[in-house]
Amino acid sequence: MNVCSIEWVVCLLLLSAVFFLIPGVRERQAFLCVCNVAFVATMIPNFAGWCALAGFLGIGFIAARVLLSRPRKWILVVYLVVLLAAFIIFKRYVFAKVLLPAALFRTIVATVGWSYMLFRQIQVVVDVYQGQIERLPLWNYLNFQLNIFGFVAGPIQRYEEFREHWKDLKPILSDAESVLRAYLRIFIGAIKMGLLGGFCFNSFTTCKNLLADPDRAAQMTHLHRVLLFLVIFYTYPIYIYLNFSGYCDMIIGGASLFGIRMPENFDRPYLSRNMIEYWTRWHRTLGFWIRDYVFTPLYKAIAGHWPQKAASLAFLCYFVAFFLAGVWHGSTWNFIIFGVLNGLGSSATKLWETFLVRKVGRPGLRSYLQNASVRAAAIFITVNYACLTIYFFRPELGLSYSMVKNIFAPHL
Amino acid sequence: MNALTNEVQQVFCDVFGDDGIILTEGMTADDVPGWDSLGHLNLIIALEKRFGIKFATAEISRLKEDGQNVGTLLELIARKRG
Repeated sequence: MNVCSIEWVVCLLLLSAVFFLIPGVRERQAFLCVCNVAFVATMIPNFAGWCALAGFLGIGFIAARVLLSRPRKWILVVYLVVLLAAFIIFKRYVFAKVLLPAALFRTIVATVGWSYMLFRQIQVVVDVYQGQIERLPLWNYLNFQLNIFGFVAGPIQRYEEFREHWKDLKPILSDAESVLRAYLRIFIGAIKMGLLGGFCFNSFTTCKNLLADPDRAAQMTHLHRVLLFLVIFYTYPIYIYLNFSGYCDMIIGGASLFGIRMPENFDRPYLSRNMIEYWTRWHRTLGFWIRDYVFTPLYKAIAGHWPQKAASLAFLCYFVAFFLAGVWHGSTWNFIIFGVLNGLGSSATKLWETFLVRKVGRPGLRSYLQNASVRAAAIFITVNYACLTIYFFRPELGLSYSMVKNIFAPHL
Repeated sequence: MNALTNEVQQVFCDVFGDDGIILTEGMTADDVPGWDSLGHLNLIIALEKRFGIKFATAEISRLKEDGQNVGTLLELIARKRG
């Protein structure tokens, strides 16, 4: 079921209207569980899909329960290796297809929501291993993983945040105005996704079809082709933002009607002044997850083994972390370029900051950061760099290449 | 100022390269130049080494959230040391 659809909104409003009439917490949980399973069922194509889902969820639950009683590092490492290998194969990553027999990919079944379940699962297992989660009932774990609010595309909620609301399931909107605000947020989300996002997507598609066709591109002037490219270059990031932030508005607003507070996922990302800040404003829950479960352990491991080299190897950690954040989005070469660009952008940010600290010291850096002209220039550079990364945020590498080629030489 | 605060203050001075840092419980990352994400990790690593303790990933993350300050950090260290 599409979140930006009449069916979704009608179901949401009707179910939320009766939800708090259900008397007990257990009964409310059961009601939401039925909603979760019914929603997931609309996206699982067949029995094999259910088996794959059960297997994927099962790996995490078994690992977490074993680690609860025996928190051994080797168990965590084996679990992570098996899970990530399975994920790479099931998502059919291009580099896996190069390395593994083709027959393997014909027999596997991937389901919707895997990418987000992966994050939730790793978070639970790592936090169990580190003693941050002391109990993990199967009932909670399954509903956390299959939570209708966030199953398809986030936001990536942490288990403890989920449990905080799940254990009570009481109204969190204290008065009629808060409820109206939630309805308004759902409405705004629908407008962003359906109307404004749709307009940007249509503009992008029209221009893309014109520029990708070498015969039509050849009939245009060079200036016309450049303008078409600029429309493509800027409307696609706007579309992605409207679509995803609109989706999050609908999800966060909808969840609040059921007593569940989902984490915010956007904070004016195109006003970021560098790529590290960008990832704390754009798809924030992903940026924070990557920081906590990739960057932090990687940097700590490096600093533990080579304390003298930690400062210089920090750039490598930034690159690896944001490269992975990019690659996670899709399985084709385009997303690998998207990952590389994000990795380079965030490493360059840290390199530049280190250079400034060496040159002008911490007080100098502070006045540099407070300078309005510097800030405006930094935002301008960052937003354009972010648009460049999003240019590759599509499955087809050939299309990305041919559009650039057709600006200059459509006949080639 | 108690002994723990004194020791933690010394770690702050070493990590952020500023001998003038005077810790107060209400102090936050905004008050210490260099206490950004990477500075936070360097601080955590230095504290782990100094006190022989381990911070969980979730704890490291929570310490950077709004409303957290040096007082929270001191409390957590004291709890971990038993």
